[in-house]
Amino acid sequence: MSETRTALIEIEDLTVKYPGRRMPALEHLQLQLRAGETLLLLGPSGSGKSTLALTLNGLIPHSIGKLQSGHVRVAGLDTRQTTVAALAQRVGILFQDPEAQFVMFTVEDEIAFGLENLCFSPDEMERRISESLRLVGLTELRYRRVEQLSGGEKQRVALAALLALEPEILVFDEPTANLDPQGTREVFDLLRRCKETGRYTIVLIEHRLDELMDLVERMVVLDKRGEVVIDGTPREVLRAHLSTLQELGVWVPQVARLAHALQQHGWPLEPFPLTLSEAVEALKERRPLSAGRQASSALPSLVSVHNTGRQRSPASPPIKPDPGREEAAIEVCSLSYRAAGRQVLQDISLAIPRGAFLALVGANGAGKTTLAQHLIGVLQPPRGCVHLLGRDITTISARELTRHVGYVFQNPEHQFITEAVEDEVAYGLRVMGLPATEVQGRTHALLERFNLLPLARANPFTLSHGEKRRLSVATMLAMGQEILILDEPTFGQDEYNATALLELLWQLHSEGRTVVIITHDMSLVATYAQYVAVMNHGRLLFYGTPAALFAREELLAEARLMLPPLAQLARRLGWSDLLTLEELCERCLQDSSLGLSEPLAAADDAAPVEGGRTCK
Amino acid sequence: MQVIYQEGESLLHRLNPLSKVVAVVPVLLFVALTTDPWLPLAFIALASAVIVGPARIAPGTFWRLQAPLTISLLVFMILYPFMVRAELFDRTPVVLRLGPLLLYQGAVLAGTAAVLRVYAMFLLSLIFMLTTDISDFIRAMVQQWRFPYRFGYGILAAFHFMPLLQEEFRLIQAAHRIRGIETHGGVRVHVERLRRYLIPLLTSAIRRAERTALAMESRAFGALKQRSYFRRFRFSRTDYLFILCFWLLCLLVIALFWLNGWMGPLSFTKEL
Repeated sequence: MSETRTALIEIEDLTVKYPGRRMPALEHLQLQLRAGETLLLLGPSGSGKSTLALTLNGLIPHSIGKLQSGHVRVAGLDTRQTTVAALAQRVGILFQDPEAQFVMFTVEDEIAFGLENLCFSPDEMERRISESLRLVGLTELRYRRVEQLSGGEKQRVALAALLALEPEILVFDEPTANLDPQGTREVFDLLRRCKETGRYTIVLIEHRLDELMDLVERMVVLDKRGEVVIDGTPREVLRAHLSTLQELGVWVPQVARLAHALQQHGWPLEPFPLTLSEAVEALKERRPLSAGRQASSALPSLVSVHNTGRQRSPASPPIKPDPGREEAAIEVCSLSYRAAGRQVLQDISLAIPRGAFLALVGANGAGKTTLAQHLIGVLQPPRGCVHLLGRDITTISARELTRHVGYVFQNPEHQFITEAVEDEVAYGLRVMGLPATEVQGRTHALLERFNLLPLARANPFTLSHGEKRRLSVATMLAMGQEILILDEPTFGQDEYNATALLELLWQLHSEGRTVVIITHDMSLVATYAQYVAVMNHGRLLFYGTPAALFAREELLAEARLMLPPLAQLARRLGWSDLLTLEELCERCLQDSSLGLSEPLAAADDAAPVEGGRTCK
Repeated sequence: MQVIYQEGESLLHRLNPLSKVVAVVPVLLFVALTTDPWLPLAFIALASAVIVGPARIAPGTFWRLQAPLTISLLVFMILYPFMVRAELFDRTPVVLRLGPLLLYQGAVLAGTAAVLRVYAMFLLSLIFMLTTDISDFIRAMVQQWRFPYRFGYGILAAFHFMPLLQEEFRLIQAAHRIRGIETHGGVRVHVERLRRYLIPLLTSAIRRAERTALAMESRAFGALKQRSYFRRFRFSRTDYLFILCFWLLCLLVIALFWLNGWMGPLSFTKEL
């Protein structure tokens, strides 16, 4: 009916407000999308990306929220005048949380659910169910129960359930946020396949961007108020507006950050790279600049831009599982744990030296959290298995343990026990029985440090995501804990908050505290971690420096992990000893003053990585 | 209920969930009215036979699943004669004298009968519970017994919720312990602690419910008055046959007891 129209989605002057909120979630939003286009929607947390998704399938305003002004037209249909039933066959949204999307118990029933809602005949349902299962490659799991599936498979089933309704528009609303690297890859592969069919107009909300940039044709950036601030092709946007994006706090492709950093030092890459392959090409093609423009003079400023106060400890020695009891903050000796008939941990031994920054990585279900829970008394290890600061953990009372170890849960809300931010921080101090003045002093100092002072009287549950996370870390440091363990600290955070938190952790680490992070983010491991421990099926697969880990591809594959994008880039350029943006940037600039033949030759004399990295 | 369901391919698994309800419920009601220990015993044997026979539940699994109830019933059976009002049974002979405690034969029998009755009812309902997927049961109710579908599917979504909520509760408990919360103390401390769990638990439950609701509505749930069904639930000949056979079997047992005079009076015929 709308053949004459060029735009499949037309949004005009859209302002959306949720009841009970003072500020609109989207304000005067203007956006048009052509059929077949793939759009990447970026914005800091709270900028209304998900809200925009819900306006497309009519849930706003039919179910929640209110259109205060403007209208949304999908294939020429005004969403206000079109039923949700009709729109569900035009727009499918894949949400973040795979658990929360399921109604039924088996894969087949789950896919049939949407079709049943729309009164399709059983024959038609059969056709669509087998077709969509084929598309997502899960035909053999048709009769499986959904709770037995992995995270990646769950998201694929959820997508199959959407595809069965044969929509023209697919919205991916951070579908990989809850997944491990393996699941992420599955979803991305599928996304790529959807794109290749050419049937769908795709709106993508995502923050792991490096593997997807080749699919994206257009980027739209929302600001905090929910207005479109940037709109253009990825190359234009990333080349011209990268600093704006970083100011907004949105995640940007690592490759683009590198290119941008190089550009700032008078070393622009042509064409501006979006993907790894493009960056490899551009860096290989790159002719050195005229000898006059020395890059090394620019180095210090570069480092200070990206490296706020973070310095890698020089030549961290490789650690053996048993470096001697005195220096270990945490020592685990052949710890095994069985639960529900499954070996969750098997013969784990490792020693974490005092003051270390350790990342604990591995696929979901590998036993990371279980191991961490043994270190804080949530799970009781057998006597003699876990030593904390030289003492058997079974001999330390729960109360005393909290004074030595802080543990930040994945969901910070779980840890809040009072009604005001300042009480939250003061709680531990009061439990310790400190005098009121000292409690006040320390609380004040902590709130100031974590930039929470203006919110001292607010209820913890009313804070933003990033603030909640900061508060949970602050409460865990109030008693001066020496060891801090964090479960997925960057989960669900925008780049600004994630980086701020990591810088803070790095500071704590520099002060001599021991930091242990459980994470899926390999870029984080490359940039911050001193040591990395890899878990796989309840075993400790590897324990050493990130560089040593990244050098062992077979091991990464076995643990179902991936190299972070920049390390991949470095590897492809033959610089397998480089991991971080700073290091890569430095190397590129050095090479630019040396001539091009070096980078490829450097492959051979790449420093042996065991034994840690030296810093400059 | 999902916890107790045992996946399988047996005859009973393949039956319509409602036919099992139709077959079992009248028998269940009858057993509830019995007063003697012998008839429940017969139904215990019958139900067990059905569970390990046509339902193909491994005897080990069956034993494990019923064990908790058996233990609590045994405890009840031992305590009952001591707890019950003595004047009800003081005309029956004393079987045991433990200092001031007297054990009357009537009390022992009544306790045993009560326990066996409960146990028989439990096993009869296990026939249904062990072999029926709760989602099938609700969908059959929606399709065949006109249970409102919006409500039925809401219950289904809630079933996904329970394990997640349990997990959440465990996490919050651990998180609070790590904060150094008082772990022992009186009732007040306990109540206070529960109140603290409640806020994060409710926030995340509401958030999750909201997400589920959005995901369901995004797939047009509730958009139309009617819905169609991919798998139709209806009574097949096997279902009728099963109901008939089960009833006949039960009637046979009852008749056997009745004719031989082994059956005590039923609850409503018995004058107290």
